[in-house]
Amino acid sequence: MLLRTEKLSKHFGGLRAVDGIDFELETGEVRGLIGPNGSGKSTFFNLVSGIYRPDEGSRVWIDEHETTGFEPHLIAALGVARTFQLLRVFSEMTVLENLLVGHHNHVSYGTIASMLGTRGVRAEEKRVREQMMELLAFIGLADFADMLASELSVGQRRLLALGRAMAMRPRLLLLDEPAAGLSPVNVDNLLRIILGLKERYGLTVVIVEHILRVVMDTCQKVTVLDHGQKIAEGSPDEVKNDHAVIEAYLGREMEDDEVRRALEG
Amino acid sequence: MAEQAASLRFIDATERSLTRLRAIHPLAPWIIALLALAALPWVLANTYHVFLANFICIMILLSVGLNIVKGFCGQVTVGHVGLYAIGAYTAAVMSVNFGTPFWVSLPIAVMATLLAGVVVGIPSFRLEGAYLALVTLGLGESVRIFISATEYLGATNGFSGIPAPRIGDFRFDTYQKYYYLVMPVMLFGVFFSFQILRSRLGRAFMAVREDPVAAAAAGVNVRKHKMVAFLISAGYAGFAGALYAHMIPGYLNPRNFTVIEMVTLLLMVVLGGLGHIWGGIIGAIIVTIVYDITKDYYHYSLLLFGSVIVLTVLFMPKGIGGIIDRFIATRRFIAVRERQAARSGSGSGSGDAA
Repeated sequence: MLLRTEKLSKHFGGLRAVDGIDFELETGEVRGLIGPNGSGKSTFFNLVSGIYRPDEGSRVWIDEHETTGFEPHLIAALGVARTFQLLRVFSEMTVLENLLVGHHNHVSYGTIASMLGTRGVRAEEKRVREQMMELLAFIGLADFADMLASELSVGQRRLLALGRAMAMRPRLLLLDEPAAGLSPVNVDNLLRIILGLKERYGLTVVIVEHILRVVMDTCQKVTVLDHGQKIAEGSPDEVKNDHAVIEAYLGREMEDDEVRRALEG
Repeated sequence: MAEQAASLRFIDATERSLTRLRAIHPLAPWIIALLALAALPWVLANTYHVFLANFICIMILLSVGLNIVKGFCGQVTVGHVGLYAIGAYTAAVMSVNFGTPFWVSLPIAVMATLLAGVVVGIPSFRLEGAYLALVTLGLGESVRIFISATEYLGATNGFSGIPAPRIGDFRFDTYQKYYYLVMPVMLFGVFFSFQILRSRLGRAFMAVREDPVAAAAAGVNVRKHKMVAFLISAGYAGFAGALYAHMIPGYLNPRNFTVIEMVTLLLMVVLGGLGHIWGGIIGAIIVTIVYDITKDYYHYSLLLFGSVIVLTVLFMPKGIGGIIDRFIATRRFIAVRERQAARSGSGSGSGDAA
């Protein structure tokens, strides 16, 4: 079990953004996490990655380490990488530097050595820069290594955000709407890259998505949230036909096959 | 277009010669810089200009330090002059009242500013932007007010009689001699900053500036790096302060650490380029020289500096360093285009797409 949560909750004032979610994720899985707007998907990610502090009574384990209330950089050090819906790339840094920040915890020299710029530092810098250039080549941004991230197109920035997460050499990759705003062709391209990375590095992946087609095609198992609660979990086909899910997404009025057509996009 | 091509050729040539020098030995460019700067007093017309060179070196130390915390780590601190004052007065008190030699007073002054740096750094854990600026401004001003009100430190009459540093019988008691103390320290400080900013540490600083949440998610300990940035910049201020105190005439006055000095220091970093590796250096040189040329109109200097800050922020937010980078970025962009054009086989790598 790579990730487990128990009664995970977070409220903002009176709003229960995430409300007692029990979640279990096996190593090697590609899990979809779907739900209508405001159902708590992003909050769930923020809780797991330590950006929000969970409410009392919540518990989170990553690989048998209890990480409830850990700060984000400690959770990152356990091998959890995430992307953000709004990307949050470091726009005034170069593409290569963005990846190097992701690789931060794998650069073997410390703070004092950084200051002195020893021979060891220079050798290590050379090594990690080469590694990151390889990763850039894999995601197709090698030509842009020395450009500022702000100069990239939206699609390229999405790839960069993914690259920065991959630079962390994670075991668990949390993708927050990786395909938002991409054209269908680019979505396919991105999916191919994600699955390629998963195979290559033996990743476990959780994908939060709005475009249902993305999750339905890539994930063996899908979890559905609504109003901060887990309302369904199962294979894409089971979930697609689940009444609670259909209601959550589209209300009661539509006919079943109409709904199915809408979900399949 | 022809003009731009010439400048691109210049950038290329500079980069190539630097690469060739580094291939000989990584320190080669620095040794050349040291030799070139060592010749400076022989070229300068008079002692006053040598004094100015000394002062510029001290200002470079200060503004390079400020640029690390403000430009690279993104922490808006305005109280840097307060740290500078703490460094200067600590060194002065050690040398005069306790009779320690300069070589002991200096590290003690640096330790004092490091301690003060912790005090300035802690608010940065919770405050951002303008709020942090206000707190640090208050801390910096209170240092000056404390000095002005303390008899032990000479109050408003100033603190005099600080001896020149010495090695054996050799005393750094003229501006020419002092230059050979302050210039190597400055060069070492610049070298040190280049090492930091081009390493893992510098990248973590920038990540904290760009987006603390994303930085933390990437595994960067945000609070630790903010504190390290404050400490490094405080260390620079300590060196600058101790060197300033021991320069002839060996006299300190709280009037030299006022809001005007803060604005001047701010201008150096902003004009040179916030978050640009050369920013503090370019800014310190230009501002100190302009300040000197216009010192007859001293009363208008704040007005001038204030308007230059506003104009810089409005029209070239990344300062002079940013303009230089723009040139280099353009060249790189063209290079990428040409590489892509060559790969696609069209062959027409016209470089004016922007």
